[in-house]
Amino acid sequence: MATALKNRSQPLPAQGLDEFGTLYRDHVDLVYRYAHRLCGETEAAKDLVQETFLNAYRGLKNFRGDARISTWLYTIASRTCMKMRRKRKGEPEHELSLDEFVPTSEGEFRLQIPTEGLSPEEALENKELRRALDQAINKLPKKYRMVLILCDMEEVSAKEVGTIMSLNERAVKSRLHRARLFVRRELSARGILDENDHKSRSLRS
Amino acid sequence: MTKKKTATPHTKQTKPSSRHKAGRGHCLKLLRQLSAYIDGELASDICKEIRSHLGACPNCEVFILSLQQTVILCRHRPVPPLKSADRVALRRAILKKANAK
Repeated sequence: MATALKNRSQPLPAQGLDEFGTLYRDHVDLVYRYAHRLCGETEAAKDLVQETFLNAYRGLKNFRGDARISTWLYTIASRTCMKMRRKRKGEPEHELSLDEFVPTSEGEFRLQIPTEGLSPEEALENKELRRALDQAINKLPKKYRMVLILCDMEEVSAKEVGTIMSLNERAVKSRLHRARLFVRRELSARGILDENDHKSRSLRS
Repeated sequence: MTKKKTATPHTKQTKPSSRHKAGRGHCLKLLRQLSAYIDGELASDICKEIRSHLGACPNCEVFILSLQQTVILCRHRPVPPLKSADRVALRRAILKKANAK
C-alpha cells in the first residue's frame, strides 16, 4: 500500500500497465459508445475516449473499487466531456421548463414519422427519423443530454447516474423526464416541420 | 429537497387548449408524471387514475404513446463500432501521452 502511494505521480509500473491494458481492452467499446453518443460524431468521440483513458490511467492507482468500473469510467468521461466542451465553446446552459412541452396544436401530439407496427430497428432504418432523433438529442442542453444518454441509451440506473453526475435520484429523474419531453417534441410535427420549413426556405434561396 | 423552480403550478397556465376536453388540470398533472408512469414507478391507484384519464382524453393517449415511442427509439439507436485500427492507435496515443509527463 505504502509503495503504491509513493508511486502516485510516476508512470504505472509493469503490473499497473497490465491492469491498464485490461481496463482498456474490456471497456474501450463502452467508453467509445458513450463518447459517440455525447459528441454525435467520430473524431470528437475519439478525442474524448483518449482524454478519458488518460485520466483513468492517472487515477487507476487510486481506484479502490468502491464503484463499478463502468460507473467510474462513465464519471471520468462525463467530467472530461464537460471540461472539453467548456473549453471549445461556451454554449449557454439553460433549464428546460415543463410548460414548454404542453402541446399547442394538433400535430404536436403524435410523432411526425409514425413508428406503430414497426420494431424499433425497422423504424430506425428510416434515415430521416434517425437524423431527427440525433439532432434532437444533440440540441439538448448537455446536462439533460447526459442524463438521457446514460438512462435511456446506456441503460444505467437512475441511482448510478446520480453517482456519476453527483445528483440525487430525484434530480436525475426530473432531468430525464424533461429531456424525454424535449426529444419527443422535436420528433413531433413541430420539430420536423420547423426543420423542413427551414430546409425548403434555404433550397429556394 | 431540491428546488422545483421550473415546475409551474396548474393555476399559472394560460389559455387552455380547447382540445383538452377532459379537464386541463388532469392533462398537466399527467404531463408531470408521464416518465414515472411509463417507467412503472407509480403506485397502482395513481396508475388507475391516469388510465381513466387516458380513456377520456384521446390527445393525452396519443401523447403518452409518442413519449413511449421516443424512449424506445433512444434505447435502440445504434452507434457505429470503434474500428480495430482506431482501438490500437488510441491505446498507443494514450500511453505515449501518459508517459510523456
